[in-house]
Amino acid sequence: MTDIRSGRRAPVGARRRVSPEARRSGIGLAMALPPVVLLALFVGVPVVLAIGFSLGHTGGLNSTIASIGLNTREATSWWGTAQAYVDVFTDPRFTRDLGVTIGVTVVSTLIVLALALGIALNLRLRGGRLASVFAGLAVVPLFIPVVIASWAILTFYSGDGFVRTVFALVGLTGPTWGYTTVAVVIGSVWTSLPFATLMAISGVQSIPDAMIEAAKDAGASSFSIVTRILVPLSAIPLVIAATFTAIGVLGSFTVPYFTGPNAPSMLGVDISKYFQAFNHPQQAIVMAVVVFVLASGIAFFYVWANFRSAKKEGRV
Amino acid sequence: MPRRCLLTLSAAAAVALALAGCAPTASTDVAAATNHAVTDASGTATVFISGDTNVQSLWTDAIIPAFEKANPGASVTTTLDLHGEHDAQTMAKLTSSVQAKEDPGFDLIDSGFIQAAGKAGLLEDVSADNIPNLATVPDTTVKAGAGFGIPYRASSVLLAYDSDKVKTPPTTLDELLKWITANPGQFTYNSPSTGGSGAAFVTTVLDKYVSDKSRTAMTTGYDQSLEGEWDKGFDELKSLGSSMYQQGVYPNGNNQVLELLGTGAIEMAPVWSDQVITAQKTGTLPSNIKYAQISNPSFTGSASYLGIPKTAAHKDVAQKLSDYVLSSEGQALIASTIAGYPVISLDNVPADLKDKFASADPSTLRPTYYSQMASDMNNLWDAKVPGQ
Repeated sequence: MTDIRSGRRAPVGARRRVSPEARRSGIGLAMALPPVVLLALFVGVPVVLAIGFSLGHTGGLNSTIASIGLNTREATSWWGTAQAYVDVFTDPRFTRDLGVTIGVTVVSTLIVLALALGIALNLRLRGGRLASVFAGLAVVPLFIPVVIASWAILTFYSGDGFVRTVFALVGLTGPTWGYTTVAVVIGSVWTSLPFATLMAISGVQSIPDAMIEAAKDAGASSFSIVTRILVPLSAIPLVIAATFTAIGVLGSFTVPYFTGPNAPSMLGVDISKYFQAFNHPQQAIVMAVVVFVLASGIAFFYVWANFRSAKKEGRV
Repeated sequence: MPRRCLLTLSAAAAVALALAGCAPTASTDVAAATNHAVTDASGTATVFISGDTNVQSLWTDAIIPAFEKANPGASVTTTLDLHGEHDAQTMAKLTSSVQAKEDPGFDLIDSGFIQAAGKAGLLEDVSADNIPNLATVPDTTVKAGAGFGIPYRASSVLLAYDSDKVKTPPTTLDELLKWITANPGQFTYNSPSTGGSGAAFVTTVLDKYVSDKSRTAMTTGYDQSLEGEWDKGFDELKSLGSSMYQQGVYPNGNNQVLELLGTGAIEMAPVWSDQVITAQKTGTLPSNIKYAQISNPSFTGSASYLGIPKTAAHKDVAQKLSDYVLSSEGQALIASTIAGYPVISLDNVPADLKDKFASADPSTLRPTYYSQMASDMNNLWDAKVPGQ
């Protein structure tokens, strides 16, 4: 009996030790595998190839692009060559455009955050129909293609556009912002506002009334309610909104291509110009790597914000 | 035509690619061969079109029906990539099929990436041996095809102006440059990388300082050492900057320039011949916009090229079709459908066409630079002219 028992128990015990955990992780792995394989194949491999090409590895799968592109630097040591990076960083155009790209990104992100937060706070603290209309309007750009919006912004601020026409009607000379960096900032704010507004509204709305009322009872002014309760408590969605806005603006192409000047322009436009018009794919990839590094820096904040929110909810 | 009309995000790529495909079309010596009609083709073929709707209708409504009528045994289908939005993918597909020695699925390509594809060794060699009518195309035009491109239509850049405001338009390049500085803010051209009309203006100003010998070399091959001769021209373009629209705005794309001209924001600009004719036909450009060619030197013109993939399954039909396009019948269709210039020597085109294009004789069109020279020109322009 005992023999039979132990003989039966042993496999059961063994199965129980491995089974549920293993099965669950096996299913989990199986479910995660397709997207991971897809990412590795269609994103990971091309990224590795591109970075290799930027370091001068022109053989293998990079041979076609290397045979077409001009001014391609070839690897001189086992890890490659940094000559393409030197080419790009010593080109005054690049440093100028890098500065403009960072500047536009910072300014646009700050304006978007300020606007989104203003709309969200107005909706939370004052409410009413007007506040809802504002919140609704801020989401409208989501439904208008960027190409069309860029074109509209360009004609709106152009030399014969609406703004100048209105100024002219009252005898003033309005600014011409078409084909300037100002128009690029306006366009970037327009395209980024909807997502930031949705994040800010959801963040601010989720703060319980009780906290605000308690602060009011304790004699807090509206200003301190905003700065000491509403903004700190919705910090995580705001950080997420800021990172998404900044990464979006950093890599934007359509808005600066349509509404901006030929020079200085943003790196998204430069990458396209170097890749296609100048036929310098290697330099274009170097710039893409720079944008990637910048975006990774911003993404760090996104990961940090997500981690904090997960920790707060006890998931980590 | 991708070179012409593209403004959208992905089309920017096509514009650049198409530009790379622009190549010379002029000639000093005219071939003596006679043109012949093509009536003996049989079998099927697929034409891959990467371009605008006007190019599509040129093929599907004009050339193909006429070709099938003249060659009862032949049947041709088309594949369209509107505005050449997927040129990069098409190139990749072509590359992989040729490397794997498989049929890419099309037999004749009408696209701006011919030059790039040919350079990468993906296209079949062409000559008067397999496409007899090629012998009637002026030599330099054929040479610019580098042995794989089949020139089949051409167009040139003209100077368009608002005739209400400009009573005596400039007729030479020097007069034009003087006019620009005398009328600040009334002229602009698109950045050369975004369209051929701006590229033609830049090329023409650069040519003012380039010796004839170097220029010939620049239109037929790539020689970076010659680029020093552009310096004076770029200085001139840079000094014109403050006289441009909004003190230095160079719009992206041929159409944006046409738009500025149409709304009266500027009074003068370089434009494509066929684009301005079409814009006036459709009413997007008012009738007070007139156009003329300048001289000494004139603006450049260029041919568009066809190519046959090395591994195409129906090369014979593709060659017959190309031969047909180059027959006087085919060239007449191009002229009537999209106002394109014939590429064959004018002795070989019908008499009425000959008169129509007498002033725009393709053999007198000044060729644009070789594609890699043009890439470098775009790059140097971008470094030296805007925002300086």
